[in-house]
Amino acid sequence: MSVGEASGGGRTPHPVCAAAELPPGRRRIVTIEGKSIGVFNVGGRYFALRNRCPHRGAPLCEGQVVDLVTAPAPYAWENERFGEIIRCPWHSWEFDLTTGRSVCHPDSIRTKSYPAGVAAPTEHDRAEAYEAAERGGVVVVWV
Amino acid sequence: MGARVRAIDTDAHHQLRGIADLKPYLSRHDWQRLEEFGMPRNSNLYQASGGFRGARADCFGAGDDVDPRSRIALFQEKLLDGCGVDFAILQGEYTPAVLALADLDFSAALCRATNDWTLAEWVGRDPRFRLALTVPIQDPVLAVREIERLGDHPAVVAVYAVCGSPRLYGQRHYDPVFAACVKHGLALALHFSNEGIGMNPAPTAGGHPSYYAEQYLVRPQFYQAHLSSFLFEGTFEKFPQLRVAFLESGFGWVPAFRWRADATWRSLRAQTPWVKRPPSEYMREHIRFATQPFEDPEPAGALTAVLDGMDAEQTLMFSSDFPHWDFDPPDAIVRRLPESLRQRVLVETALETYPKLPR
Repeated sequence: MSVGEASGGGRTPHPVCAAAELPPGRRRIVTIEGKSIGVFNVGGRYFALRNRCPHRGAPLCEGQVVDLVTAPAPYAWENERFGEIIRCPWHSWEFDLTTGRSVCHPDSIRTKSYPAGVAAPTEHDRAEAYEAAERGGVVVVWV
Repeated sequence: MGARVRAIDTDAHHQLRGIADLKPYLSRHDWQRLEEFGMPRNSNLYQASGGFRGARADCFGAGDDVDPRSRIALFQEKLLDGCGVDFAILQGEYTPAVLALADLDFSAALCRATNDWTLAEWVGRDPRFRLALTVPIQDPVLAVREIERLGDHPAVVAVYAVCGSPRLYGQRHYDPVFAACVKHGLALALHFSNEGIGMNPAPTAGGHPSYYAEQYLVRPQFYQAHLSSFLFEGTFEKFPQLRVAFLESGFGWVPAFRWRADATWRSLRAQTPWVKRPPSEYMREHIRFATQPFEDPEPAGALTAVLDGMDAEQTLMFSSDFPHWDFDPPDAIVRRLPESLRQRVLVETALETYPKLPR
């Protein structure tokens, strides 16, 4: 979902705001095609996530933007990927802002559909992500 | 050899006949002290237990004054021969009291003496016995010294720890003990006892229960506290080869604990980022649950759900608790298990848990 890729994939570009209105470290939550979407500037790169946590439906994009905390060994905390993780305001599930993937279960596949009346076998693990980029001084999201 | 072994009992409890048993294994100084003051006694907050004096009433045939735990012939007759148990791992009845001593050097002396006595008088007389080593785990330096002394004895298969403790066992204070366990191929055998006595905190967060029945009922929480500590301190990241046997912990609680542990990790992972995988995965790989006291979940089918939810094929192993009052014989236990689990529970999981058992 990098800025350099040819955008679109059949999706429609929507202007969000002037790039100057979304400086690094900030976010904006906008409604596009009836969907609440958070657009983030992470160190000059833009990312967008559906403002809905796949766990309990919380407004995910209102959560804290944090670093990825890791440890090469017990008791050795290390922060990396500064500001690239969003922590859901309910229950603190962590998602990778750049992909929507769950930090705890990055490889789990988001269940998109299942037979009517049948519960999904597991919670959805991935937040819906959209491409976002700056085009001619405007932040654009493809939805 | 595994195919020929009928059953491995991971938890039986033997006892001294009297203090004289230890005289050959103590310094003159320590013997004089033992002779004057006697063995420390396991704390009994209730002056009560189950059965007759905590043991099977049908095991007192030699008279009320003879503790069945002290009779090797009784173990041979009723457990090894009588139940088809080919190996029985001994957790000393005397151990909790020894580990509750604040006087560390006397505690260590009694650990050495009881270990030497067991190896000579029990293992030496019947090669079907194995020993979970009694070590003064309240002082890891002294504990490691005892593991170094006897850890390579072929009959020593585990280090025995009790749940009552001033600290939770995942804390780094104990890391040298676990390093020594791994070095010598020993499991850690965790068994209740010593909760709320001596230097240890109350057995429940709300204080001391009034009755033995309550203490008996709430035992799973003793293990849950240590388990939570192992998981979130990263014990199994530090010691990937360590296996911990939970003896008399019960196991019906395990599936629910796993769900809760995984949910906790999912929300709070970043605080202990060395926990790299869902806690249930560490549990499946490192924690083994002994069957006794076997819980009979209701309604019908509930046992199957529990066995599935704890990955029993990998984590459940037989124990009898002989000769205690709530003894379970292997034949009655395996009848409750699906055919596919029986050999796993009776033999194979124990062989995987205790690498020094013959196979």
